Amino acid sequence: MDALLTANIAETDREAVPVTVDIADDEHHWVRKAQAQDTAAFEALYRLHVDKVYGLCLRMTGNASEAEDCVQDAFIQAWTKLDKFRGESAFGTWMHRVAVNTVLGRMRKSRREQDRIRAVAEVSSVPDSIGDNGGLQDMELAINELPSGARHVFVLHGVYGYSHGETSGMLGIAEGTSKAQFHRARRLLAQQLKTESA
Amino acid sequence: MNDTDDSNFDDLMTAAADLATEVKPGRDLWPGIEQAIIKPVRPARTMWNTVWAQAAAVLILVGGSSGITYLAVTDGADVTTPVAGGPTLVFESASGSFGSQYNLGPDYLDAQRDLAGRLDDELDHLTPDVREAVVTNIAAIRTAIAEINLALAEDPDNVLLQELLLSTYREELTLMKQVNGFNLSAMRRDDI
Repeated sequence: MDALLTANIAETDREAVPVTVDIADDEHHWVRKAQAQDTAAFEALYRLHVDKVYGLCLRMTGNASEAEDCVQDAFIQAWTKLDKFRGESAFGTWMHRVAVNTVLGRMRKSRREQDRIRAVAEVSSVPDSIGDNGGLQDMELAINELPSGARHVFVLHGVYGYSHGETSGMLGIAEGTSKAQFHRARRLLAQQLKTESA
Repeated sequence: MNDTDDSNFDDLMTAAADLATEVKPGRDLWPGIEQAIIKPVRPARTMWNTVWAQAAAVLILVGGSSGITYLAVTDGADVTTPVAGGPTLVFESASGSFGSQYNLGPDYLDAQRDLAGRLDDELDHLTPDVREAVVTNIAAIRTAIAEINLALAEDPDNVLLQELLLSTYREELTLMKQVNGFNLSAMRRDDI
């Protein structure tokens, strides 16, 4: 990743102050400080990763409100499990794993997934913040209509570029299942997009 | 799978890879996270703080007073000059209790009554300094007993407070024994 980034780190008075940081060094620094219960450092990590985590949650849940809840839960989970983060992977990757677990946990706990499928027509107006063109919006909508298993695999492997090994590890499934679900997702997406364009 | 399908899938994957991986949430989610991760402020003083502070104070009081009395009685053991008109300890009737759920056993009450009855006589034979020390410390022990009983009223099942009360009663008996020169058998838990 490029060396420099301008991030907003909220000070104690809640006023955003632009700070120029070296991501690799400062992320490591923030992680260590956050592990020592420094909430300001954890906020810096949040600001650095929230867009990626939200994007992942949004694509996995297909619902902006649910995705926001997942992001909050994921960062709260990350805070409580920070002592287990050993730096063997990038913090962003670890955070993605936490987010995926959070999404899956929430789906298991509730029947929102069924609600989501029923309400998909209503929520298919993808949030403005995504800002893709028409073709990509079709793709977004088509992904949202995938069955959850296929959707999760497609999002992690097809959109975020995780290998099938990483994807299966995150989702707690066999690697062969990940490949099969991905194949299924591709087929369903192709059918949907073909139907929509016809 | 034919060439057309492969071409469609390639296009599909290209489109998927072009999807934004970073999406800005519609609102700042940090305040909710911050609220959840900041530890709640612990109440300044709870009932337990009060109870244990009382218990610790009583322990120090009883231990200190017993030590002082022991030294005073030991030092004054050879002094046998009778002192007339000294202060008289007034012992309440056997109203000892053990919190709100327990009563002192009959053996203990008999011993306490017996010792208390003889204590006045013995006090007359002590020097004023020793007598004052004994009176002060007996009063301190009884204050401690009353305070432990109050704490036990709030928390009747607290075994540590029960043990503390037992040992305080034992201190009272020991002190009276020292003054009277009696030799009492050790008090047991089932005396209460």
